[in-house]
Amino acid sequence: MADDGVPGSTGGSVVVPIESTPTLRATVTHLVESAADGEFSAIHFVVFATWRDGDPEAADREASVDRLLERVSTWAEADLADVDEVDVDDVEVVTTVVGGDEYLFGADDYVRELVAYAGDHGIEHVVLDPEYTPVGNTTLLQSLEFALSRTDLVVREAPVARPTRRERLRKEATGIRFAAIFGLSLAFYLALGDPFYPFDVVTGVASATVVAVTLSRVSLDADPSLTRTPIRLLRGAVYVPVLFFEILKSNLVVARVILDPRMPIEPSLNRVRVIVGSGLPITTLANSITLTPGTLTVRARDGDLYVHSLIPWARDGLFDGSLERWTRFVFYGREAARLPTPRERDDVGIFQGPDATEEYPGARADGGSEREGAAVVDGSTADATEADGSEDAEEVTPE
Amino acid sequence: MSVVDATLAAGYTVGDFLLVVAAGFVILAIGMLYRAVKGPTMQDRVLAVNVLGTNTVVILAILGAALGEPTFLDIALVYALLNFLMAIAISKFTVERGGVL
Amino acid sequence: MIDALSPVRLALIVVFGLCGLFFTFVSMAGVLRLPDVYSRAHTASQADTLGAGFTLAAVALAAGWDGAGFKTVLLLFFIFVTNPTAAHAIARAAFEEGIVPWTEGDERR
Repeated sequence: MADDGVPGSTGGSVVVPIESTPTLRATVTHLVESAADGEFSAIHFVVFATWRDGDPEAADREASVDRLLERVSTWAEADLADVDEVDVDDVEVVTTVVGGDEYLFGADDYVRELVAYAGDHGIEHVVLDPEYTPVGNTTLLQSLEFALSRTDLVVREAPVARPTRRERLRKEATGIRFAAIFGLSLAFYLALGDPFYPFDVVTGVASATVVAVTLSRVSLDADPSLTRTPIRLLRGAVYVPVLFFEILKSNLVVARVILDPRMPIEPSLNRVRVIVGSGLPITTLANSITLTPGTLTVRARDGDLYVHSLIPWARDGLFDGSLERWTRFVFYGREAARLPTPRERDDVGIFQGPDATEEYPGARADGGSEREGAAVVDGSTADATEADGSEDAEEVTPE
Repeated sequence: MSVVDATLAAGYTVGDFLLVVAAGFVILAIGMLYRAVKGPTMQDRVLAVNVLGTNTVVILAILGAALGEPTFLDIALVYALLNFLMAIAISKFTVERGGVL
Repeated sequence: MIDALSPVRLALIVVFGLCGLFFTFVSMAGVLRLPDVYSRAHTASQADTLGAGFTLAAVALAAGWDGAGFKTVLLLFFIFVTNPTAAHAIARAAFEEGIVPWTEGDERR
């Protein structure tokens, strides 16, 4: 995290005011892609401090803003790694907090701070996250745009789909996606049937067409690359025996724990931030973690995986991050796999048990508040929203 | 003579061995049924039913091989996919927001 | 098939079958004994996947390499992909419902 962005030679710098919104992730991706196209050479993500230094809650809010900024820079890094054409060092990503020495009230205050920041760093462009509403005021973005239009800054809104649930799954239909889904489902159909029997071939083509028409927009979110996919499959083939050996090894350890009459388990919920792309890579990693006994992925929230571990041994294995390195190897190649373990990166947290380092997260910490009360249970008491049956739960096996 | 008819020991064939394994799976499935009935939470029951479904798939595959009924495998495949859908769908609808997966 | 009756193959069938039974037994023991839904999901997804994997491998060996064996391998692949996903969905539903994982000293449930 640097504070001094020097405008590069190609393209200008851009400043992006951010807060935690559903569209933030896509906005970051959009910016990195624009930067890869040569539009920008430096991206400044700024958060307006809505507190004043010395406020009683200042430390808490600063900490949460720091977490947000850290997450954004992780995303930007991951996106940069995904873009092939551009050298990572060409694009500078700066994250910083603006304000904090006075309260900001209306759009004009925000714009004044933004202009001042832009002036200090020689920035001419502003990109807005469509869902950006710094003080929770839904009408602010309009007037923010209006106030910005009276300045010298070039403003635009990131062309990011808002997360209306129905639209989110539908992506663009392209020929190559259609062909990929069609080929895959036809191959599956013929594998179950007889590829040399004409009836099977005809019905197979028909049903593969139906599947491709209905699902090619849903199943793939990017065009499958003809060069990258076979390499990934090949590297995946290397990964499978490794994964299988891991599964076998830790299954034996866990089997011993479970069959032990004393059952020495020490379960806890943990958090680990992983540096893999969204979509298929994180799905692969989460499933690998779940398959490896002793660890179970409970929740994937942005780059954070909430992992339940049965015994400390499994937790230590998780924090050593060998599965994360393997996933990076499968999807990005050998160089990408060289990174420090989550433990060394300090990207881990334990929510429960004697070694707890962080407070237990609520189920809806980032969204609605209907279960806020139940969520702050520290893990020693069952909470009230749990299903009613706890009183009839009894010893299943005598100790 | 296929593999299933090959003699393992004392006159018992591979098919007999597979049938014994299938019987073992059925007994284990009965144990699992306790959790499906008892709960106590909805998720416990879904989990137990999911495991039971996996066991059913395995039993179907074993019987298919042991009794020489290759069509059992097609049923097992469909059952495996349905079982997965069942777990996902119930998980989704027990959370009122419907936001799982 | 020349090696159809080779003793190695028959031995592998027996070993895989018994391993499958053992890990499924571990899975059942876990589902019955462990204290809460999260830890039960561990064994339900993992020991059970391995148990099913071993047994299906035995079935594939017994069925040979033609259509039946291929379908068994496909089935094995499906189970390896879908089982952890289903376990994750169930665990996540439990988390969203607000069920706090059991820790040392809690009541069993």
